[in-house]
Amino acid sequence: MFRFLLKRLALTIPTFLALMFITFVMIRLVPGDPVEARRGERGISPERHAELLHEMGLDQPVWKQFADYAGGILQGDFGTSIISKTPVLNEFLTLFPATLELTICAMLFASLIGIPAGVFAAARRGGIYDQTLMGVALTGYSMPIFWWGLILILVMSNTLGLTPVSGRVDLIKFYYQPVTGFALIDSLLSGQKGAFWDAVRHLILPSIVLGTVPLAVIARMTRSAMLEVLEEDYVRTARAKGLSMRRVIGVHALRNALIPVITSIGLQVGTLLAGAVLTETIFSWPGVGKWLIESIGRRDYPALQGGIMLIAACVIVVNLAVDLLYGLINPRIRHGK
Amino acid sequence: MASDVTIAKAGQAAPPGAFRAFWAAFSENRGAVIGLAVVCAVVLIAIFAPLLAPYDPVEQFKGSTRLPPFWAEGSDPRYILGTDAVGRDMLSRLMYGARISLFIGLSVMIVSMVVGVAMGLAAAWFGGLIDVVIIRVMDLIMAIPSLVLAILIIAIIGPSLTNTIIAVTIVYLPRYVRLVRASALAELSKDYVTAAKVAGVGPFRLMTVTVLPNCLAPLIVQGALGVSDAILEAAGLGFLGLGAQPPTPEWGAMLADTRDLMLSHPWVMALPGLCILLTVMAINLMGDGLRDALDPRLRKS
Repeated sequence: MFRFLLKRLALTIPTFLALMFITFVMIRLVPGDPVEARRGERGISPERHAELLHEMGLDQPVWKQFADYAGGILQGDFGTSIISKTPVLNEFLTLFPATLELTICAMLFASLIGIPAGVFAAARRGGIYDQTLMGVALTGYSMPIFWWGLILILVMSNTLGLTPVSGRVDLIKFYYQPVTGFALIDSLLSGQKGAFWDAVRHLILPSIVLGTVPLAVIARMTRSAMLEVLEEDYVRTARAKGLSMRRVIGVHALRNALIPVITSIGLQVGTLLAGAVLTETIFSWPGVGKWLIESIGRRDYPALQGGIMLIAACVIVVNLAVDLLYGLINPRIRHGK
Repeated sequence: MASDVTIAKAGQAAPPGAFRAFWAAFSENRGAVIGLAVVCAVVLIAIFAPLLAPYDPVEQFKGSTRLPPFWAEGSDPRYILGTDAVGRDMLSRLMYGARISLFIGLSVMIVSMVVGVAMGLAAAWFGGLIDVVIIRVMDLIMAIPSLVLAILIIAIIGPSLTNTIIAVTIVYLPRYVRLVRASALAELSKDYVTAAKVAGVGPFRLMTVTVLPNCLAPLIVQGALGVSDAILEAAGLGFLGLGAQPPTPEWGAMLADTRDLMLSHPWVMALPGLCILLTVMAINLMGDGLRDALDPRLRKS
């Protein structure tokens, strides 16, 4: 197990290096003057230009610049935002809990509905429930989520008035210090009446929207994994022993069917962390996805560079964790190849 | 199970008509046939958009802005699906939008398939350093989430229709490369390949004529599903303002245009999204059917 862990860790090093290289090249490819692109100032005097060029190390040879950049990242220096003049890492860390909270809620929504739905569909294979569910799953899988979000806002918020339209907190009624950055926890800590319920209400629609595609994927996957497992000999043995179908499905089959499903859930958390871009934009959710899009609009290239580096790093770490966990559950993986 | 039997039977009769065998298996799946019909309809609309569309998609009728579709009150029979904020005919825009979305989807699929096949076959044939480099680069592309990578690429090369295609192609390339490489490696160890080598077939001919046709089934399925993914991804970029630029009638960008109007004129927002949903769904249905018909082993989704 330890060797497997070391091997997987070692494999991420070249990925990180290449990621640094790509983000390093990226900011260099931005058309126009590099000093202007990075400082966001126009019409700089030649002397000031030379001064800034030296200050940013752009007069150094390229390999030295890359070494400086990589060294900075290793020490936690991801650059400084042009607009807010604060370190990119700080900005990222303030916004990240919002994205994480949304991602976790979306994944909970998707798993808690998707897994049981898939199990039922497999148990009643070919029946009306199975067919309906697979139809719904196909719709979810094909859904342009930005449109889905707008439709939900239109129906749930504007017509029925059930949920708020955007944001995380109703700032007119509530204000609390971000202690953990998670609205659900902070609202409880604040002790204000109704604050927690307010945070929940704000989370409902974004979680549904972000969780729709994973829900469809999980339901389809659980169903097919379940169908496969139900054909196994040990399931027949369990049935022959006289166990009820409910017990066979719920205990014997489900446990084995869940292994691939859990892996796919884990891998999707990584994608969702970043895929939250669209959902956050629609709901004005103050997370890293919305920040990234706004950075493009503001031509804040250092923020973009650092932000992409950080998001990709998060995804790589999550995927690594899933891999390790999978190796823990399934010995065939860690001993194979 | 029933369709397995059909495939087996049809398989025995395959030599006289491989297509007929395929069609027998494909047409058994009702959903797939519906999907195919819708896809055909969308393709026809896209091809004949200039003939079918009542107006130019970017022409603005100043006197008739924000008209509702025909079923709602206050509609104008001249504009069946109503008009948008600046008085452009929705029906015409949606028809031309089919052109753009399908064009993006197909271009991405074709380019990434051609490049993917070339890189996958090269990796499988040469092995060694070339294989390692190709696979590492693909792993790296896959490590960055698709939309973020697309955004990164667009941020550098600027938003436009062509750049959307470039960005989405790069994002989806690894799937094809890995698929081709894996199937080619599996085929390379088989006896018929050895036989071909012994017979003196050169490497290029061996890979393209002998090996590639046997890797096609999963590739075709991936290609079909790749079109729908590309359409969704491109629409998402369009919605974020990073794809096709106004006044291009791209469905995602049309949605973004109408966000301010959403509350007062919901249909302007509802229609483009519905078009994306239906098109993508039809392609996915068709893709699932293709997968079941071409390769029963791939049936688990």
